[in-house]
Amino acid sequence: MKKSLKFIGTLTLSAMTATAALADYPERPITMIVAYSAGGGTDVAARTLIPFIEKYLGDGATITVLNRPGAGGEIGFTALSQAKPDGYTIGFINTPNLLSIPIQRQTRYSLETLEPVANIIYDPGAFSVRPDANITNLEELVAYAKEHPGEVTYGTTGIGSDDHLAALAFERAAGVQFEHIPFSGNADVRAAVLGGHVFMASMNVSETVQDAENGDLVILGQMAEKRWDGAPDVPTFQEQGYDVIMGSDRGIGAPAGIPDEALSALTAAIEKAVADPEFRAAAKKQDLALSFQDSKAFRAHLEAVNQSLETLWKEQPWVK
Amino acid sequence: MEVFDSILAALPAVLSPSVIAAMVFGTIVGIAVGALPGLSATMGIAVLIPLTFAMSPLVALGMIAGIYNGAMYGGSIPAILLRIPGTPAGIATVFDGHEMARQGRARLALNISLVSSSIGSAVSAVALLLLAPPLATIALKFGPADYFWLALFGLTTISVLLSKNPAKGFLSACFGLVLGMVGIDSLTGTERFTFGQLDLLSGIDIIVLLTGLYAIPPAIDLLLGRNVVKTGSLSVTGEKEAFAWSSLVPVWIRSSAIGLFVGLIPALGGNIAALLAWNGQRRFSKNPKNYGNGEPDGLAAPECANNADTAATLIPALTLGVPGNAVAAVILGALLVHGLRPGPELFRDNAETVFGFMLTMLFTSGLMFVIGRFGARAFVNVLRVPPRLLGPMILALTTVGIYAVHNSIFEVWMMLGFGLIGYGMEKLDIPTAPAVLAVILGPMAEESFRRALLLSRGDATYFLTSPISWVLIVLILVTLLSPLWTRILSAGKAKNAAKTAGQGRADAA
Repeated sequence: MKKSLKFIGTLTLSAMTATAALADYPERPITMIVAYSAGGGTDVAARTLIPFIEKYLGDGATITVLNRPGAGGEIGFTALSQAKPDGYTIGFINTPNLLSIPIQRQTRYSLETLEPVANIIYDPGAFSVRPDANITNLEELVAYAKEHPGEVTYGTTGIGSDDHLAALAFERAAGVQFEHIPFSGNADVRAAVLGGHVFMASMNVSETVQDAENGDLVILGQMAEKRWDGAPDVPTFQEQGYDVIMGSDRGIGAPAGIPDEALSALTAAIEKAVADPEFRAAAKKQDLALSFQDSKAFRAHLEAVNQSLETLWKEQPWVK
Repeated sequence: MEVFDSILAALPAVLSPSVIAAMVFGTIVGIAVGALPGLSATMGIAVLIPLTFAMSPLVALGMIAGIYNGAMYGGSIPAILLRIPGTPAGIATVFDGHEMARQGRARLALNISLVSSSIGSAVSAVALLLLAPPLATIALKFGPADYFWLALFGLTTISVLLSKNPAKGFLSACFGLVLGMVGIDSLTGTERFTFGQLDLLSGIDIIVLLTGLYAIPPAIDLLLGRNVVKTGSLSVTGEKEAFAWSSLVPVWIRSSAIGLFVGLIPALGGNIAALLAWNGQRRFSKNPKNYGNGEPDGLAAPECANNADTAATLIPALTLGVPGNAVAAVILGALLVHGLRPGPELFRDNAETVFGFMLTMLFTSGLMFVIGRFGARAFVNVLRVPPRLLGPMILALTTVGIYAVHNSIFEVWMMLGFGLIGYGMEKLDIPTAPAVLAVILGPMAEESFRRALLLSRGDATYFLTSPISWVLIVLILVTLLSPLWTRILSAGKAKNAAKTAGQGRADAA
């Protein structure tokens, strides 16, 4: 309720000062749209990061979170792309949803209507199995799948999730066929693999490390360009000879057309925030896989991922 | 034991000032809401959930525990004083409670009701604390096939037990099943019944539905000036009289057991627990003729049983995600609002919160006694509040509250729309609870059915492989056959019916 009131206040303020010069950005509170529920992973990460961005924006800058959950993030992304591009509305953008939703269905936003500000988190995808499966790397997995066609079932958090897309990409790269079992949340996938109901879990590496440390799961590989420092012993897919890079990014975006002063101020503040040792300690507690990219690099990354998703969609549409 | 370690670990959080304040507030609100005819625990919780949004989960849950327990006792105040049950669970309280009041023993009747309610709640909370954790461990072993049978069991019990008029209960359940289908199909990604509406893609939020169905209809009634209480006879009569409390101990034991048992069975609620306990107590008594004529035992039994039902209902809800009745469904909704997904994982990932919540169920049963003891007269005065004041308050709270959950005005309209539907259903005597349970159980049954078939690659015998599945199948069969069984029993009883007068009362509910 408070948040909404603040939001209304922000709107009123923005109407009054729309003509003001941007020289002293930010002059008034910034709204950050989070396209997921309060208390969820993205929301918690956003609220952890905000004090640090505020600190480095300086001048008593304030950022208020506005949760606009629903439709896999589409409601929030749409709200962000339709906001006034004045630098006072920014939002968290998450891949692959940000990119896969417009491929799957007609949407009112697209990558062109957004301006990437900075990437903050890259959480690589990973495959994991129970120790009693006696499989420790991807080569053994592929061999097993070829010997036992149709027996490798894998659980994901749903159709079109990064976990699902990752497995599709791997199937293509390795020339094998798995059986996809979608679940409705991470906890369900975890329970299903630990309970032996599915053979393998396709979950982000940050969500698997805890079970791997306890010896309940074996991580076969992570789908990053280089190993995440939270799981330094897990080899990447590329190291094992499979060119699969997939994961979920959580970065900051703004409506396209945001003034350059605001964009550069935000990017600089976020870079310093992510480097802040206090924030890094808080992020470590939440198993956040930090990976800063500035505006340009983030845009290039998003366009590359978009390209590969479009190719994948053409060959193997994941929604029929 | 591990359970006691978890309980001890959660204790400091429960005893923090904010949680205690929330429990006191919740209990006061609960007793008041229960005392007001037409307002139920379900409604009270549904209205307050969105407002708890900004609180920490345990504070919110402590308040909810207070409302839940408090409302079950509150319902007995007008039942005793005015012969109007404040909540459906207060029906059986009228039988002997109001008689006692007429005989000028209202003070004693309120005291018996309060003590019995507190004891019932406490017993139930202890059962919850002891039974839920081991059940959660078993629930971890549930595979998709088991979940399918579980959801089907829940659906079966609704259809068989919930309504006097099976056609209406069935209609309501089908309404819920259809609502449950709205949104993106999680197994194929296909959009269903979304009409191209962005706001419908993630489905209909259970809180929106519950608030609409349970908070709006009473608000409309209040605005229309219904539920007006004739306050003329509203007084607590009676002197302090000596009463042999120890004589009630066997009543409490028997009624608590009945309440616990009823709470564990999906689709049965506090009203059934109360009726069963009253009937059971009468049958057991040496002088059944006194029942319905102001017998203290006949008041203690239903009041104890309807409170013993409260925490027990939460056992399947917290461990398996299967709500037994509408209140449990609202509490599941409350957990979801706070990002807590009911199920076995809850006990592992959020042990402190879930054990804390179970402890608040226990503590609020004690608080209820203290607050009820000192505030009895104040709660009697709640009945004098003009209904036209309450209606707008409820409407304002629900509107603001639902908006706050997802910052979505679309959901506010949807909630108000469900409110009108709920009002219509109430006027047509169609029960709303089957709809609410079906919204939760329908998608659960469908998803786990399809997931199981995916896992077994279309092999239907997969549904019959696990022992858990077999237990559930047997339960489903027993439930399906139970109407037949009761018919046979009642056919036998019909011969003796002439002897037992007053039986009609129990059936009427």
